[in-house]
Amino acid sequence: MDVSELRKNAKVQLDGHPYVVVEFLFVKPGKGQGLYKCKLKNMITGAVLDRTWRSGEKFDPANVESRKMQYLFKDQNGFTFMDNESYEQVALADEIVGDDSAFLLDQISVDVLFYNDRPVGVTLPSHIVMTITECEPGVKGDTATNATKSATVETGHKIQVPLFIREGDKVKIDTRTGAYVERINT
Amino acid sequence: MAAELGGLAWPARVQIWDAALAAVRGYFRDQGLREVSTPVRVPAVAVEPFIDPIAAPPGLLATSPELAMKRLLVRGSGPIFQIAHVFRRAEIGERHSEEFHLVEWYRLGADLDPLLADVEALVARVFVATGSNGHVPKTWQRARFLEVVTATCGAALRGDEDPGQLLAALPPALADEVSRAADTSADAEPRARTLLAWTAFFTAWSDMFFEPWLKGHEGTHLVDFPAPLAALAITDPARPWLARRAECHVGGLEIANGYVELRDAEEQRRRFAAVNELRRVHGAPALPIDEDFLAELPGLPPCAGIALGLDRLITLAACRTRLADVSLALGGG
Repeated sequence: MDVSELRKNAKVQLDGHPYVVVEFLFVKPGKGQGLYKCKLKNMITGAVLDRTWRSGEKFDPANVESRKMQYLFKDQNGFTFMDNESYEQVALADEIVGDDSAFLLDQISVDVLFYNDRPVGVTLPSHIVMTITECEPGVKGDTATNATKSATVETGHKIQVPLFIREGDKVKIDTRTGAYVERINT
Repeated sequence: MAAELGGLAWPARVQIWDAALAAVRGYFRDQGLREVSTPVRVPAVAVEPFIDPIAAPPGLLATSPELAMKRLLVRGSGPIFQIAHVFRRAEIGERHSEEFHLVEWYRLGADLDPLLADVEALVARVFVATGSNGHVPKTWQRARFLEVVTATCGAALRGDEDPGQLLAALPPALADEVSRAADTSADAEPRARTLLAWTAFFTAWSDMFFEPWLKGHEGTHLVDFPAPLAALAITDPARPWLARRAECHVGGLEIANGYVELRDAEEQRRRFAAVNELRRVHGAPALPIDEDFLAELPGLPPCAGIALGLDRLITLAACRTRLADVSLALGGG
């Protein structure tokens, strides 16, 4: 495609990887050539790089697609997800899911990124609610200090929570940082 | 420059455009220039390497009113100005829009200085008229193109180097850009290759060296362009390796471009041909040559002309950085 089609959020194929344009600036000095200055994010690894195209040049659009899928189970083939619309099931290898496996609750709905029809990444909801399955006893009334303790959630993952949290509590977690956000009163 | 103030409210946009348009007209009337309005749809535009017109069958939308205004000068208009709607395809960004307003004016006499004085006065008048608080550029400097090149990137150039000589004189970062351009034009005729090499150099140098340098200066007139970048300007009679072209910058933003106008139709035809050759190398369509313009060009009186981007000037006066923050474009169209 002609570089004049470049915009913020355009998907670009570069060196065999899909990138999304996260920052875009068109500049054109005097009567010179137009420059399309882009900050690109690798849609699989998250790595960011700068790239400038000149007017008249071409770029390859990346064949990427995001599908809503539901997490079903894990076995020796990896993590299996089901397409919410077609019910098609795909297994994602451990290294594609990576650290996000800590937050893969049964039935959780995620966005699975396909590149050239191959699954290459998972995006969790930014916040999820999980149940504390194991922690030291709660300290009553201690809601003011910043002290924390370790607690285990239903996936077996450990997080840091405030001292007042008890087993069986539901807590909201930011999946991007892995941090405790708040207790959910039920 | 103030950061991220956001777009003006609609009543404020209407007010600032009203004030700016009145200030421009008031200034030129005081100066004795006559206002003209030339057709927006034209049979041909000035042939430029990287300015592409938008088709409007059976013609093109004007990319500048330059050719039409010169023909009026040939026919005895005397000094004239115009606030023109112009169109340039695929120029979309914070500081670019496919449709914008050029204030273009011509004075008789082969001298750029009165035009640069006009730019300074016009900028001040528009800033004051729009109520811009204290941002009127107080100091303007005159900077010679090749001296700024030497000061910023170390390259010592005369202005008439061929692609090989230019390449040898540049630091590696710039030489890479120019050799990329040179590689694509190996089969082009020498004049087009020289134009392409210098244009590639100018583009890369502006981006890497000149724009950062400009940030430290309020108002700058860049003068004495190298001859290959003359566009529609004469070359300096005493120093033919330089062109009588100027570019005006305020707060790091280019706002105007002016020439002592070329009146030699054969030289103008050769330059248009070289540009079309460059366009061919880049895979851009050749542009039609305006034969009516070339036929009348020898009758052009000695004159100098300059075009100023009004949308950019109003953006600066409003202390904004994006044209969209002050534009009267209604969206949805």
